[in-house]
Amino acid sequence: MAKYICSICGYVYDEANGIPEAGIAPGTRWEELPGDWVCPLCSADKSLFVKQGEATSAPAEKTRPVIDTPSDTQELSPLEMSALCTNLARGCEKQYKPEEADLFRQLADYFKSVAAPSKDPSFSRLLDLVEKDLEEGFPNANDTATQAKDRGALRALTWSEKVTRILKSLLIRYQNEGEAMLENTDVHVCTICGFIYLGDNLPEICPVCKVPNWKFEKVEGR
Amino acid sequence: MAKKYAVRNIRLCTKDCLCLYVCPTGATDTENSIIDVSKCTGCGDCADACPSGAISMVPFVYPPQQPKTESVVSMMNALLRSKSEQENIAAGLSGRLAKAIEKSNRIMAEDIIREAGYMLPQSQNTKDFLQSLLDKNPEGLPREAVEKLLENLYKNEEEGSMKDNKTKENLMKAFAGESQANRKYLAYAKKAEEEGKLNAAKLFRAAADAETLHAFKEFELAGKVGSTADNIKDAIAGETYEYKEMYPEFVKDAEAEGNKAAATTFTFAMKAEEVHAKLYKEALENLDSTEEVFYYLCPVCGNIEKSVPEKCVICGIPGDKFIKY
Ligand SMILES: [Zn+2]
Ligand SMILES: [Zn+2]
Repeated sequence: MAKYICSICGYVYDEANGIPEAGIAPGTRWEELPGDWVCPLCSADKSLFVKQGEATSAPAEKTRPVIDTPSDTQELSPLEMSALCTNLARGCEKQYKPEEADLFRQLADYFKSVAAPSKDPSFSRLLDLVEKDLEEGFPNANDTATQAKDRGALRALTWSEKVTRILKSLLIRYQNEGEAMLENTDVHVCTICGFIYLGDNLPEICPVCKVPNWKFEKVEGR
Repeated sequence: MAKKYAVRNIRLCTKDCLCLYVCPTGATDTENSIIDVSKCTGCGDCADACPSGAISMVPFVYPPQQPKTESVVSMMNALLRSKSEQENIAAGLSGRLAKAIEKSNRIMAEDIIREAGYMLPQSQNTKDFLQSLLDKNPEGLPREAVEKLLENLYKNEEEGSMKDNKTKENLMKAFAGESQANRKYLAYAKKAEEEGKLNAAKLFRAAADAETLHAFKEFELAGKVGSTADNIKDAIAGETYEYKEMYPEFVKDAEAEGNKAAATTFTFAMKAEEVHAKLYKEALENLDSTEEVFYYLCPVCGNIEKSVPEKCVICGIPGDKFIKY
């Protein structure tokens, strides 16, 4: 009997115990769990689990390309400036400076309004970028931050990488299931780390950043 | 300690409101539950009394944010670029999933840029960013918002530097006190040795050395130790003031009061300081010379010569008493 660990939230599926309250009998093998089974805590799919005792990441069979580092004089794009400003607005909120938070939000709105819309948006382009982040962006940034002993950057990278993995699994499911995947289910986003939760019973705390679930925001249709 | 003021987290506040009873100025009793900064004295009594931990004391001036290495910043910027692009793509797609992905990417982008050097709204990075917006002045930029932010976020900096001045002042006061204590203890040690009280003498010398350590550190922290050229210039100024202005007055006063011993000491010191000033000037001109120079100190009056004289030109003692440096 083996154990499988959710790489997003740390939930452990123990084959010996099963999950009787969810109708999974003790002794149910990992392979016998249905393909659409998801983590009961964070709804990560089976591909995001690792067998206990096995390496967490895929073996380094290929050397990953090093991103040509953007030069320091790189100009931030309007949308990046907008994110910079909403970040600073949050900083002001934390310091109980509502007036300054509003001013930064005003700037953020301005930059968003002047950003050119994406030319040919598609879910498959999203998936390509997500995969590139996971294969290059995060490993490279993690190495650099580890070398610089930058715990703050490592914290942000750990959260974003987990959220990005959830995004990848959602995008793959969406490719296969389409809109049906969202029928009769709520979509929530953690406003602290960006974790996306599909389902009606929110976990008590965010499986990625551990904030209480009142920090989640329900996404309404558009 | 940095000046602080109280803020209330309305979400945590359970309206048990002990803060109303303990606040000495009524700053916590407001119709909108926001503590009145202009009344708050920063005493912290409300934060201590609050049963729900809803009140925090926050500083007027935040410490500088943690420095970031260039390589981390450029890696974080690369991810920021990708997350922003994904936000943009998702914004062009319909459905709740796309909307969730758009939001999620914005939140990640914010977190990533926060760790790429933009943690603190009051940081130099943020200030530079806001200033650059005014300089570039892109079309439609809400300039008043930028100007207001620059005005609001950095107005406390002056207060912060005033605090620095107070500490600098204190460092120099401490330096003066420690320096005096050092010379005082050495004088006491000399006396104790003359009386044969050797243990007391030892303690005086040890304590004198301790005060020297304190004085050095305080002088350094006050930013007073510069390059050797600068330090020599400072020494010239000090010696010149002493021989031209300070000691002539002191000699006059001592003579008027009939204190001959003090008058002689001041006179010796005055003449010696003039020599010191001259030697410092020479040293400054020849600072880069590698030719070795020797100095000879008169142990009675403090005169310094560059060769052994027959007798001291200031106090008249024989040259063989001079100490070589
Ligand atoms: Zn999980
Ligand atoms: Zn979260």
